[in-house]
Amino acid sequence: MERPYQPELIATARDMKEVEKLIDVGVDAITIGHQNYGLRVTGDFSLEEIKTATVYCHQNETKVYILTNAIFHNDVLETLPTYLKELESVKVDGIICGDPSIFTIIASYSIDIPIIWNPETLATNYVTLNYWHQKGISRAILSNELAIDAIKEINDNVSFPVDIQVHGMTCIFQSKRKLVTNYYRHIDKSYDQQQAMHITQGKEEDTHYPIFEDVNGTHIMSDGDLCMIDHLPLILDANIHGLRINGILKSMDYHVEITQLYKEAIDAYLSDPTQFELKKAGFKQRIYAIQPEDRKLSTGFYFKEQIY
Amino acid sequence: MTDIHSKTKPELLAPAGNLEKLKFAIHYGADAVYIGGKQFGLRSKAGNFSYEDMEEGVAFARKYGAKVYVAANIIAHNENLDGAKEYFKALYEIGIDAVIVADPALITACKEAAPNLEIHISTQASIANWRTVEFWKNEGIPRVVLAREVSLEEIKEMKEKVDIELEAFIHGAMCISYSGRCVLSNHMTARDANRGGCAQSCRWKYDLFEDGTEGSENISAESDESYTMSSQDLSMVEHMPDLLALGVDSLKIEGRMKSIHYVATVVNVYRKIIDTYFEDPDHFELNPEWVDEIWKAAQRSLTTAFYYNEPTEKDQLFGKPARIPKYDFSGLVLEYDETTQIATIQQRNSFGVGDEVEFFGPNFYHFKQTIEEIWDENGESIDRAKHAMMITKVKVDQPLKYYDMMRKRK
Repeated sequence: MERPYQPELIATARDMKEVEKLIDVGVDAITIGHQNYGLRVTGDFSLEEIKTATVYCHQNETKVYILTNAIFHNDVLETLPTYLKELESVKVDGIICGDPSIFTIIASYSIDIPIIWNPETLATNYVTLNYWHQKGISRAILSNELAIDAIKEINDNVSFPVDIQVHGMTCIFQSKRKLVTNYYRHIDKSYDQQQAMHITQGKEEDTHYPIFEDVNGTHIMSDGDLCMIDHLPLILDANIHGLRINGILKSMDYHVEITQLYKEAIDAYLSDPTQFELKKAGFKQRIYAIQPEDRKLSTGFYFKEQIY
Repeated sequence: MTDIHSKTKPELLAPAGNLEKLKFAIHYGADAVYIGGKQFGLRSKAGNFSYEDMEEGVAFARKYGAKVYVAANIIAHNENLDGAKEYFKALYEIGIDAVIVADPALITACKEAAPNLEIHISTQASIANWRTVEFWKNEGIPRVVLAREVSLEEIKEMKEKVDIELEAFIHGAMCISYSGRCVLSNHMTARDANRGGCAQSCRWKYDLFEDGTEGSENISAESDESYTMSSQDLSMVEHMPDLLALGVDSLKIEGRMKSIHYVATVVNVYRKIIDTYFEDPDHFELNPEWVDEIWKAAQRSLTTAFYYNEPTEKDQLFGKPARIPKYDFSGLVLEYDETTQIATIQQRNSFGVGDEVEFFGPNFYHFKQTIEEIWDENGESIDRAKHAMMITKVKVDQPLKYYDMMRKRK
C-alpha cells in the first residue's frame, strides 16, 4: 500500500536557539550552513555548530540539510572535500548544492551524502532535473520563477521529491562584486556590512528590494514576501514533497510564528479540507498581524505569466 | 607551463547578429562566429537567422575556413522544449559546427537528435572552478565558456588540471550578476531574462536606503548620482599576451546586437594583436593605435573585470556616461577603380564634401582623408550623400577593396 502523502515543512535556522524553537513548533527539517559554502545562510554555522545542531535535530526526529549551494571558485575546492567528509560523518540528511563540481568531488573522495539540487534560477523544467537525477541528485528545489502549473508538471514527470518555497523573501540577483561598498566608495561614504538596506526602483517608491553583501558578493531580494498560506490546497493536492520557509532578514519571532502557522495549516488541510477553509482567514490574519509594514505579501510567480 | 612558441593560435570568436554581420566578422578576421536561430536563443531582439540564412552563412564561412556556432542558451521551461530535437537535427544538417547550450535539457535533446553536433557549455552556466570544468569534460563536452567572474590565475589552474577547450570573453558588455542567476527583469517587468527577455534592469537607476528603527534614510539622495549596478564593458585589448600565454582556446567578443561597424572594428583589432603576438611572442609590443581603434567602437568605459582583481567602483558606471567620441559607419566600399582612383561607396550614414573621413579594412588597413568630390549613380556631382544605401562614387587617396569601410566622427 502506498504511504499517505505527508509533505515536509522545511525552515531555515540562524542559530541553535532557533533550531530548538522551530522543532518545538513542529518543523520537519531545517536548513543551516556556513557562508563559505552556502548562499545567504541566515546565520553562520561553524562545522562544530553544524554537528551539534545535527545531533539535536536527529534526537528530535528532525532532518538537517546543509546549504552548500555557492558558485564555487578554485580556492574553495581546497577545503570543500574535508568539509563534506565531516558532514558525511555526522550523517546530515542532505547537502543543498547548485554547482556541478559537486559530482566530480564526491566521486573523487567517495563521499556519500544525498544531494538536494538547488541551482536557484536554473531548475525550471523536468528534463533538466531528470538529467541531474541521473548524475546523482536525490531531490531538487525548484526555481521561484515558476507558475503552479509548471510546478505540477515537473512534479508529475520526475521520480524524486521536489521542493518549493512557500513563504519569505526570494533572491533575485547575485553578483560576485561588492555593489554596495562600491557605491559608498564612489560617493565617499563609509559602509557597514551589518547595516540593513534596501533599494527602490526609480519612481516606484513603494518597492522594497533588500540588498546586502557577504563573502559571496551582493544579493538583492524580492520586493514582496512570498506567502502561499491561502493556496496550500493547490500545493498539497499536487503532492509537492517539500514546502520551504526562508527566514532571511526576518526576526526570529516572526520566522518561528510563520513556521508554526504553516504547520497548523498543513495539518488542518490534510486532516480535513473543510476545517482548513474555515481557518484560512484566521491564518492570514495572524500573518498580517506580524508582517513588517514595509514588506508586501505576494504570491510571486505562482499565478503570474512571464513574457520573453 | 608549456612554451608559448609551441602553442597554436587561439580561435577569435565574434558575434554575428545577422547574415551581413557574419560576413563582415569573418572578412575582418574572425576564425568563428556565433549566431542565434529563431528558437532557444537569448537575444530575442537580435536579427537572428532563419535556416536559409544559416545555410548561406555556413557556405560563406567555409570559403574562409571559418566556423559557425549557434547559441541555444535559454534556461528552458517545460513548454519551451517542444521542437528542440528537430532544431538540433536541422542545425547539424545545415553544417553548424557547434551549439552553445546552458540548459541540460537542451544537451539531452541535442545528444539524442544530433549526436555528432558539438556542444559547448554557455557562460550562462557560470562555470567558475576546475571541478565543474572536469564535470563537463566527463560528460563528453569538448568546450566550456567560462563565467565572467574567473581570474586569469583561476583559468591557468583550470587549464593545467583539465584537458578541455576553454573559451573566455575578451571584449564587450557584461552581466554584473553571475549570468543566469539574475531575475531582476523577471521580477520588475515580468520579462524572463533567462529566456531572452532581459530588460537590463541592472543598468537602471535606483534609490539606496539605510533602514533604521526610525524609518529609512535615502543615501543616494545625498549624491547627484543614483544607485545602480551597471558594469563597464570588458576589454582585454591592452593585456592580450597574458591571456594568450595561458593557452585559452577561444577568445570571445560579445555583441550580437552590435552594429557592423562595431564588429568589424573590434575583430580587426584583436585579429591584428593575435597575429602580431604569434609572429614573435618575445618581442610583442602593444601598438597604441590598436587601443585608439578599440575606442572608436566603444560604447561605455572599459575594464578588465575579474581577470586581475575583483572589480571595484572604478569598474562600474555611475552618473553621466563618459564622453567617448562616437563614429558613424558612413559608407561601405563596393568597388575601386585603380586607374581613376575612384571608389564606389554605398552610403550607410550621411556624408558630404569637406568631411574628414577614415577608411579602414581587414588587416588593420587605415587612412584618413577629406572628401573632395562625390558623384551620384548618374554621374552627377553632389554635395552630400543623404539617402540611405545610395550608391556614390568618391575620389580616394589610397587603394580600397570591397568590404572596406568608411567612418566619420559624429
